[in-house]
Amino acid sequence: MMNDAVIDRGKTDLASHDGSDDLIAGICAVRVWGTLGWHDIRQRYRRSVLGPFWFTLSTAIMVLVLGALYSQLLHQDIHEYLPFLAIGLVVWGFISSVANEGCSTFMGAAYLIKQIRIPLTVHVCRIVWRNFLILLHSLPVVVVLIVALGRSMSLEFLLVPLALLILFLQGVWISVVLGVLCARFRDIQPIVANLIQVAFFFTPVMWSPEVLKSRAWVASYNPLYHLIELVRAPLMGHPLQWQSWAWSLGMLVVGFLFAHLLMRRTRNRVPYWL
Amino acid sequence: MTSSSITAEGIVVEFPIYENSHRSLKKAVLNLTTGGRIGQDAGRHPVVRAIDEMTFGFSDGERIGLVGHNGSGKTTLLRTLTGVYEPVRGKLKVRGRIASLLDVSMGLDPDATGFENIYLRGILDGLKPAHIRSKVDEIADFSDLGDYLNLPVRTYSSGMMLRLAFSMSTSIEADILIMDEWLSVGDADFKAKAAQRLETLVGNASIVVVASHEPELIQRVCTRKISIEHGRIVADEPVVPKVSADDSDVPAGSEVPDLSAASTASRSAA
Repeated sequence: MMNDAVIDRGKTDLASHDGSDDLIAGICAVRVWGTLGWHDIRQRYRRSVLGPFWFTLSTAIMVLVLGALYSQLLHQDIHEYLPFLAIGLVVWGFISSVANEGCSTFMGAAYLIKQIRIPLTVHVCRIVWRNFLILLHSLPVVVVLIVALGRSMSLEFLLVPLALLILFLQGVWISVVLGVLCARFRDIQPIVANLIQVAFFFTPVMWSPEVLKSRAWVASYNPLYHLIELVRAPLMGHPLQWQSWAWSLGMLVVGFLFAHLLMRRTRNRVPYWL
Repeated sequence: MTSSSITAEGIVVEFPIYENSHRSLKKAVLNLTTGGRIGQDAGRHPVVRAIDEMTFGFSDGERIGLVGHNGSGKTTLLRTLTGVYEPVRGKLKVRGRIASLLDVSMGLDPDATGFENIYLRGILDGLKPAHIRSKVDEIADFSDLGDYLNLPVRTYSSGMMLRLAFSMSTSIEADILIMDEWLSVGDADFKAKAAQRLETLVGNASIVVVASHEPELIQRVCTRKISIEHGRIVADEPVVPKVSADDSDVPAGSEVPDLSAASTASRSAA
């Protein structure tokens, strides 16, 4: 890229960052994206009685209905299947909406990007945070199911917060990458939407990998499966699965490295593309 | 801390113009694989050079007025100084905290209440919640909107919306103030108040850059006038202050200019 401009903005505030520290500066501006994300949620449910608890209710209905149906279809024990399905759907909901909304992050925030200089990652974190809040509102359904079905909670349960943090950070790099690419190439968005839809059926959300028997390797090479399993295994009381942690942490490192390189190259170009 | 400055050496800002086909991934990929025979337009897109090798330096105490025709690059230059657009080439050095009044109604969320909008704007400006709370009253007072601030902004008349936007965007503290057009909003009462507030704002900042089409305004507010044409500086001259009794650096509040009259006059003259 022909960019030999030298820009020096001193070290004063949110405006002083460039492509190489945009990610860090953006993630550190917790107050800014935290407030904006909350605002988005409040805005969406401004005139409704249940507010964000609609997420809770709709998750509950979806899980109960689909759970009853698919546990029969797949010949699964409903005590095992209901929480399995609930966690899968909640985590999948987060991943898919982060990927889909991530594509339009910068286009959606164009009115701000063209007015005020703040790290682009702030706009990304806003999207991820608001979807994370939705996830947190749906999670009680899972907990209620686990308690109601009399499942015992194991020590692995303590890993859940860490797993959720990793999930959040995965959302950040995915949205940075997709946001930048989609700002430049507008037909990546429908491609992503399509891939996500296909991936849903290919990933063990509705079905568990045991169903595949000898072909279970299909799941074990699916990074999305490991991302879900990171949260699902400890909640289900399954033993620690080091493959899932290795996959997830590996994805995190590679993903952020890629996001960083992309940001360093394109941070200054994105406003021109909007 | 006290010394602010802006220096630019040969900065260039170019806008790529993408038509639909240029944004297509397919074209870009085809371009890669076929060596540019099919979809060869993917690599070539027209470029508009909005700022063409500008070199200048602004230092403490200067009030710069930018003049030029529509499309001459004034707004792009202001946005470049603010940091929205990064120059493609050249050196740009900015010292000091920048506040910009590019678009008054920036980010007004129609479904949020007036108070919420004030809060959100403060957050975007990087202020701490405690600091924003201390400013909310002042902004609310200035806007004169009273209880309307508890209603969603979409219920406001356009004049009320402007009042809120103006009160919000001028409640900032900064070393460098960047303004696109002198703001004049609201009915007669508010307009006088607004003009006075802007004068104070200008008085408190150490560098002011304002783009304007009003010669009288530049004459009154600025110490230096830069004319821009086709993205280049064609003239850079000091503004000789009119010799008058109370023409000091800090404008006296008693002198409230009728901005609307000035603007209509200059527009009809143009």
